[in-house]
Amino acid sequence: MTDPTEPTGPAGPTGPSERTAARRTGRGFGRVLVTVYGILAFAALGRSSYELVVKFGEAPVAYTLSTLAAAVYVVATFALAIGTPAWRVTAWITVGIEAVGVVTIGALSLADPGVFGESTVWSGFGQGYGYVPLVLPFVGLWWLWRTSRSTSEERTA
Amino acid sequence: MILGLLLLVVALCVALAGWAGWFVARDRAVILNQLWGGAAIEVLLLVQGVVAIVQGAGGGGASDPLLFWGYFATTLVILPVAAAWAFAERTRWSSVVLLVASLTVAFLEWRMWQIWMGA
Repeated sequence: MTDPTEPTGPAGPTGPSERTAARRTGRGFGRVLVTVYGILAFAALGRSSYELVVKFGEAPVAYTLSTLAAAVYVVATFALAIGTPAWRVTAWITVGIEAVGVVTIGALSLADPGVFGESTVWSGFGQGYGYVPLVLPFVGLWWLWRTSRSTSEERTA
Repeated sequence: MILGLLLLVVALCVALAGWAGWFVARDRAVILNQLWGGAAIEVLLLVQGVVAIVQGAGGGGASDPLLFWGYFATTLVILPVAAAWAFAERTRWSSVVLLVASLTVAFLEWRMWQIWMGA
């Protein structure tokens, strides 16, 4: 497991200037975002572990997708929580993958319900999770955009 | 699982969520007493775990033990992690975090009951 405090310590030259260089993604509203991400990461991780252990042979494609989605959620949660410049890039990538994933898999699962053999976290646009997987990446992208924008605002202020 | 104990946990979760929601409305951060409320829920969750082990040993366990204990472990972890995460933020957003975490535990209790009953 990644130590959430590790990258903030020996950050070197970016360390002291960090506060002015980028607004942390884990502060304020971001704290709620990370909480929801964390819960979803837990849900996806639990689901995929269970599927891998108990019934992987039944639908390898669906369960591989679930595992992939879980891994992406876990990384996104840590990236948003830490929020240093390097992790911000990771957050953009992982949250972006989620947005693309939920829309693509959602559309495919609607077009052909049997396409993956079994349902995944992203099937039916995250229907099984109250559509949270559909809404969350777009809120995440908005938040990443907003925090990077207000960075320059704060600097000029 | 004992239904009465489960309902007590759910009621406490909803109460804690309501307390947190009131703090959100009043623009206040999470206070220590709310964390004590969360700790009380955690103790009851542990009691639920012991009860489930005893019932399982008596042959009346969950229909799918792996799934049940997976949910149990998740339920147990959520409040402490969320409390630590919320307490580090001294704005109203910390109260939103506690609100979300409490409602999630209440929801997971309901799912655990479903799994226990074999639904």
